[in-house]
Amino acid sequence: MPHAPEKRSNAPIFWLLFGAGGTLSALFGVGLILVTGFLAPQGIGVAPEALSYENALAFTQNWLGKAVIWAVISLFFWHAAERLYLTLKDMHVFSDTGRRLLTYGVAALVTAVTAGLLLAIGF
Amino acid sequence: MSDRRPYVRPMPRDWWARRPFRHYTIRELSGVTIAIYAAVLLSGLVALLQGPAAWEIWRGWLASPASLVLHAVLLVAMIWHLRTWFQILPKTMPKLVVGGSPVPQRLITLIGTSVAIVCSTALVAFVLWRPF
Amino acid sequence: MTERADKTIELSVLRYNPETDEKPHHQSFTVPYTRDMSVLQGLQWIKDTVDGSLTFRWSCRMAICGSCGMMINGEPKLACHTLLRDLAPGPVTVEPLAHFPIERDLVVTVDDFVKKIESVTPWLIPKHPKPVSEGPYNQTPAQLEAYENFSACINCMLCYAACPQYGENPKFVGPAAMAILQRYNGDSRDDGSALRIDAVHGEDGVWGCTAVGACSDVCPKAVDPMHAVNQNKMNTALDYFLRFLKKRDAK
Repeated sequence: MPHAPEKRSNAPIFWLLFGAGGTLSALFGVGLILVTGFLAPQGIGVAPEALSYENALAFTQNWLGKAVIWAVISLFFWHAAERLYLTLKDMHVFSDTGRRLLTYGVAALVTAVTAGLLLAIGF
Repeated sequence: MSDRRPYVRPMPRDWWARRPFRHYTIRELSGVTIAIYAAVLLSGLVALLQGPAAWEIWRGWLASPASLVLHAVLLVAMIWHLRTWFQILPKTMPKLVVGGSPVPQRLITLIGTSVAIVCSTALVAFVLWRPF
Repeated sequence: MTERADKTIELSVLRYNPETDEKPHHQSFTVPYTRDMSVLQGLQWIKDTVDGSLTFRWSCRMAICGSCGMMINGEPKLACHTLLRDLAPGPVTVEPLAHFPIERDLVVTVDDFVKKIESVTPWLIPKHPKPVSEGPYNQTPAQLEAYENFSACINCMLCYAACPQYGENPKFVGPAAMAILQRYNGDSRDDGSALRIDAVHGEDGVWGCTAVGACSDVCPKAVDPMHAVNQNKMNTALDYFLRFLKKRDAK
């Protein structure tokens, strides 16, 4: 008896974004936290002016800098969104629509807002 | 012959908090903290757009003890994410058969974890040795 | 030859008689055991000497038929493959496989599981059908390795009892069905993966899995169903985006 055709799930979209964010954070997350959370703000091995307004602006106005910031912030959110969505489902918290808005909705919003901020900062 | 009357047991609602699933739930929540780190970066981006004054306030907060504690927690969670991510990698990819025998899953985990350590170390090294 | 059973262990067995019981309850038995006795042999001792009405499934006694799966101290195990001496001093709880309806005592309903196995078209669909006179379909050892562990499934259902997502959603296709699906999809002689995609790509297909991993931990045959399910997530995700590029079969 063949399986009754089942409706194709849209999960692949979210799953691939989750996978991209998971891989990016697994590869560079520890290094990123060490740099932006400890070395740069504490001035350990990094000159204090590295985090100056001018330097940060120059990095953010560079197209490559923009791409890195956009990828890191949005993909990290998409990664967390998938995991939080499934964990909230495990925990029976909120309705399914509520869970989707809180997780995928927030990730989509952050993706758009980050892109908007990066454009507003200019080139 | 007796009539069938199958008994359905309820699923405990808190199964995710019990053994052996606690480990799984912690793994998932460690992934959620990655968004908290991204939110810190996002707040920096907002401060940058607001101008030099806002940026200096954000920079000051980033150097504060509260930020250090937060980043220490995020670092531990990120290391846990890295570890578990590559534990699952051999389950997500197709089975690798090299020279007629399957590549052990432990080896795939080891290679993935090593690549991640190299990537993060390279990032830190780049920042430390790049003349700003 | 026969060792004297000078030690005893308490088995707390979940009992359910659909004709008289409103719900299941535990009953304790003190079982004498020897070094070589399994939980299954303990249950057989109870049935032979204390209570003939105790109901459980078993057949081969050697971890190959997959009939005697039950929850032993809360973990899905084959009763024939679990030694009483490893559970001493006890007491040991023995319950029917989790997530399945209980028919009677330790016997669960298997209908849903069997339907799921059927749903993945569990047989070879050759690329080029040929008559027997043309000889066998040859395969290299490496091609065999690609799916061999998935072919070791004995349908014992321990993985379904271990899977919380199946417990939450009985419609989820589940670990063993996906392992059996991958046993055929991964076979170089097979060309039927398009027929099996319906069992995979829905919400209750591979996407019902959250990579808990308990299924692979409890598998007595190292089938690694978690691997089968999760590699099909990648296959399905690629199919989701590439399906428009593929030629549709004319019907």
